[in-house]
Order: sequence, then structure tokens, then C-alpha cells
Amino acid sequence: MFKKFEEKESVTGVTQLKSSAQRGIRAKLLDEYSHCEDYLNQIVPKKEAMKIVKCHDHVEIIAIGNELLFFRQRDGPFMPTLRLLHKYPILLSHQQVDKGAIRFVLSGANIMCPGLTSPGGKMAPADKDTVVAIMAEGKEHALAVGILKMSTGDIASINKGVGVENVHYLNDGLWHFRTVK
Amino acid sequence: MASTEEAEAEAGAKAPKKNVSYPLRILYCGECTLPVEYCEYMPNNDKCKAWLEKNLPSEFGKIYLGEKSPEGGDTGETDKKGRQKRGGRGNIKIKKKSEPQGVTIARVQRNKKKYVTRIRGLATYDIDLEQARKFFANRFACGASRTDEDEIVIQGDVTDDIFDVVPEKWPEIDEDNIDDLGDQKR
Repeated sequence: MFKKFEEKESVTGVTQLKSSAQRGIRAKLLDEYSHCEDYLNQIVPKKEAMKIVKCHDHVEIIAIGNELLFFRQRDGPFMPTLRLLHKYPILLSHQQVDKGAIRFVLSGANIMCPGLTSPGGKMAPADKDTVVAIMAEGKEHALAVGILKMSTGDIASINKGVGVENVHYLNDGLWHFRTVK
Repeated sequence: MASTEEAEAEAGAKAPKKNVSYPLRILYCGECTLPVEYCEYMPNNDKCKAWLEKNLPSEFGKIYLGEKSPEGGDTGETDKKGRQKRGGRGNIKIKKKSEPQGVTIARVQRNKKKYVTRIRGLATYDIDLEQARKFFANRFACGASRTDEDEIVIQGDVTDDIFDVVPEKWPEIDEDNIDDLGDQKR
């Protein structure tokens, strides 16, 4: 999604959110990430002014201060940016790919099932369309954020094709879009 | 999203550091901006290594000397034989930093005895032109507009002042790097 993202071209506007809209988003985030409510209060304090960065392709990014926190496309789920995910790895469930897959993922490829099922990979059971963090064999930090295209059970049994859609990965456009002005 | 929670429990088991307080602090490479453990996948890994060695020698030892990169090396460079390297291509794209090319200023005649000053090249120093524009307008108490990607026009002849003001405001620009083109046609 962010392969061709460019701060200059893709951002169409930054606006301060109304507090009511802000409350709505906060509620949504709390709903989505209910398992780490405490941390969420840390990430998204109640009374902090939120900004929304509107971008091309109906992408919206939520920022507080100068930091980009969550993004989403259209009415999709809110997903944490990698910088945020690195700070709070517990936000998402972790799917681990083997070593061989890393460089493909880093150049934006979707995660194929064999990468997850091979000895180097690990899966945490999750349903289709869950937002997951892609971890890597032997590495500590996440290298991508993705959406499951099949349930983990299916991934294990079918073991072919795209398992996780790569939405945001290290070194992509969003990664380089660090601060909002 | 009950499933997420189940998965979360699993993930929690995977990361045994439940007692770690978040947010974690992550080390990012100053060269390629990735977490240092991913540096090896970048095309100019040497620079990253140099950076890490210089800035965080302890981390450098952990990553590069400890494991001697048995796998890390061969995924990248060594398997050149025969088959074309897969997946390496997309990785190479790195934004080229534009080299600072010096700032040029020119005086443009507007109306017989009126002039505007045109400044180019500020953007190559990674200066936010919008801020620069505002600054000039404030400083010279005149109109200033950003007319192009990398061009600011200040109303009035302020060429002489520019030489003092710009190096003062942006120390990275030396006075010698400012080039006066003299009178120019519009």
C-alpha cells in the first residue's frame, strides 16, 4: 500500500480533529486493541489533540504531536505504524516468517504461506482479516504489518499462495514519512 | 475480535518479557533508518556497519562479531552463481539525498526602479521552504512567496542582507555557498 507513498505527493492535507471525532476514533481503537487498554491510554491520551493526515488512496493516518501512530484505508481497521509497533509489540499478534523470506518482505512482497509454515516460521492462531505483525526468524522486531488473507489454520493446511497481505513494511514510503508538520 | 485476544495470549507467550515496560526503546540505524538488526538487508550495508561501529560499538559486536553472519552473508551477496538473485531488486531503491548545490540569489527588475529578489537552492539543504518564506517575509517586512519547488521570491532588493541573514539562520549554509547572480531577466 505504501510502496509508492511519498510525503510530498501523497499527502493531501493535515487537519486537527474535532474532539467528538477524536472520541469516536479513540473508542474504535480501544475496541480493536482491547487487550492492551492500559498502553493504549499511554499511546493515545484522552485529552491530546489528534491530527489526521489524509493521503491518496483513501488512506488516513492518525498522528499525535509529530508522531504518526495509526493508519487505515477507507473504513478498514486501524493499524499501528511500524515505529509504534516497535515500541508496543503487544499490539498485534505475531506471525513469524523464516529467514529466507525477509528480503522479499522488505521489498514489499506479500507473505506466502510456505514462509510461515517452514521450520523458521511460527504462527499464532488468528482468523482471516486480522491485522498481524510480521516478525522474522532470529530477529527481535517486526518488519511488516499485514492482514491475514486466510486463517492461520488454512495457511497451515493449504500452504500455497498469499497468506498475509503486506500492508506496511520497513523502509517503505510510510516508514520514511516520519513526522507531520 | 475475540480471536485477536487468543492470538495475543499466544504472542505473549512467545515474547516472554511480560515484565518489560512499554514503550520499548528501539535502536535505529542512522544510515538506513531500519532497526539495526535489519541493516544487513540493505544494499549499502557497509555504511550501516561503519555507522554502527562508530556510534554503538557494543551493539555492533553483538550483531556482527557474535554470529559472524553465517546465514546473513549468503542470502545477500555470495550466491551469485547462475540463478539471478531473487527479491533483491526492490530493495535497492533508496532515496538519493540531493547534494547541497549552493544557494543562488538574483535581483529581478520589476518596474524600472523596483526589484524583487529571487532565491533558489534552499531546498537542496533540506530546508522547509514554507518556513523559510515566512522567515524572509518577517525579517524583511515585505511580501515573500514561494514560486516554485525550490524558489522563493522576496519583494524588494534584499540581496545584501541575504548574505548575512541566511548563514545566521541556517548555519549549514556557508556565506561562500551563496552565489549572487546579479541582475536577471524575469
